[in-house]
Amino acid sequence: MSLWAQSIVSGLLSGGLYAMMSLGMSLSWGVLKIINLAHFSFILFSGYITYQLAFSYGWDPFLAIVVCVPVFALAGMALQWVFDKLRISEFESLLLTFGLFIIFESVTSAIWTADFRRMDTVQNPYQSQSVWLGDLALPVPQLAAFLVALVIALGTRYLMDRTDFGRAVRALSQDRDIARAFGIDPHRVAMQLAGLAAGFAAIAGVFVAMSRALFPGLAVEWFGIVFSVVILGGLGSTLGTLIAAAIVGVVGGIATVIGGPPLAPLAIFLVLIATLLFRPQGIMGRSAT
Amino acid sequence: MKKPRPWLAPAATLVIAVAMWFYPDLVDAAGWPIFYLLFAYTVFFWTAQASSWNLFTGFSGYFSFGQGAFYGVGVYTVGVMVVKRGWPLLPTFLVGGILAAALGLSIGLVVFRLRRLRGEIFALMTLAVAFVLGAVARISSTIDGGQGIPLSSVPTPEALGTHPQMIFRLGLITAVLAVVVAQVVQHSRLGWGLFSIRDDEDVAETLGVPTFRFKMIALGLTGFLAGLSGAVHALQVSYVTIEEVFNIRVPLMVILMSILGGTRHWMGPVLGALVVHTMSDRLNRAGLEAVSDIIVGALLILMIVAMKEGLYLRMRQRPLITAIGAAVGVAGGFVLGPLDSAVTHLGYTLLGAVLGAMIPVGSRRQRPERGAPAAQAIEEVVGG
Repeated sequence: MSLWAQSIVSGLLSGGLYAMMSLGMSLSWGVLKIINLAHFSFILFSGYITYQLAFSYGWDPFLAIVVCVPVFALAGMALQWVFDKLRISEFESLLLTFGLFIIFESVTSAIWTADFRRMDTVQNPYQSQSVWLGDLALPVPQLAAFLVALVIALGTRYLMDRTDFGRAVRALSQDRDIARAFGIDPHRVAMQLAGLAAGFAAIAGVFVAMSRALFPGLAVEWFGIVFSVVILGGLGSTLGTLIAAAIVGVVGGIATVIGGPPLAPLAIFLVLIATLLFRPQGIMGRSAT
Repeated sequence: MKKPRPWLAPAATLVIAVAMWFYPDLVDAAGWPIFYLLFAYTVFFWTAQASSWNLFTGFSGYFSFGQGAFYGVGVYTVGVMVVKRGWPLLPTFLVGGILAAALGLSIGLVVFRLRRLRGEIFALMTLAVAFVLGAVARISSTIDGGQGIPLSSVPTPEALGTHPQMIFRLGLITAVLAVVVAQVVQHSRLGWGLFSIRDDEDVAETLGVPTFRFKMIALGLTGFLAGLSGAVHALQVSYVTIEEVFNIRVPLMVILMSILGGTRHWMGPVLGALVVHTMSDRLNRAGLEAVSDIIVGALLILMIVAMKEGLYLRMRQRPLITAIGAAVGVAGGFVLGPLDSAVTHLGYTLLGAVLGAMIPVGSRRQRPERGAPAAQAIEEVVGG
């Protein structure tokens, strides 16, 4: 009984990290029409920077957020600027960022080698700490990631619903030409949104570095989970992404208890297939008009 | 306008294939290194993989990352059936192809029923399938169980010669099959239908193109050819593991090869496979593996941004400058020499030709046509 409760809670908490990794991807794909595989490279790179800051300078991993977010937000904006200049289509963005992804992966292995890199308990005191809820253990890195993801998702939802920036974004995603006629500069809004998405990737990277060992091939392993979350949640939907990430996390957690870690991707994939068959627009997505 | 002669390309391919069948005997008689056979086999392998990928993705525009899954099904079919169950080898090749085709069809069955985002979801679905198959293989001990399967004990057909000769000939058959199928499809109703799907699927459907059926047929062919080629490749690798099969390497390479060569013509993937494999083989030989991935990524970006039509069409458009580039490459090879092997020479020649075709000058396409000032003016007004 306790094992089941624990696996559900752990799954829910890892859902926080999944949400953080997927949110930027969902915004970028849903609004900017850019399927950005470099997003995964950003997450991993940010993780490695966190590791390096802790390893070389003894920084607290949480402090790395201060460095990583601005750096990657700028990188994301620069990338979006290039995409706008080249006027690439959705499919070309997939290919182009695939090229970038490969380059990033070799650069990562060139800098940090193919070995596993993990902060030790002195550099990262959080990884062995847990908050106890009755007899349920909540590991601090996962708990923090979950809470931060919650804040980010709700903050993004507020941003989209209540601010001028959010209204501009929604207008652009509905009808680009009309939005332009009302004085919205699509390039500026796109760059701001891309910066936001990359900033989320940077935060996700910090938490990844806190909770597990890093290696250059890690980014590929996220493809399945993140795309499942994005499609399940509905493109561009903040709340949908959050719920979908929780579902994916819990399904993965339960599957791991039943059949060990290899069963998790299979179970998640089956959920994805079922979604595509019965509700292709995702949990929170609007149906086709 | 030339009269279309759809039988010409397959006929020429078959003639060349028959001639190449005796190449191993020539290598044997002339005492050339066995490496020439293995190098040629790898080019055949990539030609088959890239041609099979392009048959669906290049012609229909639906982007697939699933090549690794199809290839992996082929490799593992031989691993499981021949090594563990003792099936005869040659029929198992066909089974590998059929299983991979079935995989392709089941992906299509799920995704092609969607009305929105078919293309994007297809792409990501194919990306996920390889990892899911990897997970299945890891769980199931009848397939792999996480241990890997040694393949060196696979009994090989004696009739095809020594191991390198046999692998060369099997590779040749697979590559020729894939290329001929691509040629036939390109000039058939199926090909025209796929091209119309690529241009605008909704219009194609309105005009009566059976889009669902055509996509399923093409995806099935892609899966079959890729699985078959993967099954043959099982004879070339001595040990198969999940990590080496279901990863991003195979899709990356076939995407790069096809995009580099050009996706609108069957010749594109063939040219791309030859160029990319020769280059990466020489880079690895020079101890530059780390750089080779960066070059691959950069080349992919460059092609998307600057040369969407691909090398083959570009070269056909500018035969002179390509020939000059190739000649410079040949000469450069002698000057820069020491040319340790003919493959290095081939590398320089291809590099010269590719760079020649890529030089951004004198493209006939950009020059405005004479006698059409009105159209040009309209284009300027509308375009500006």
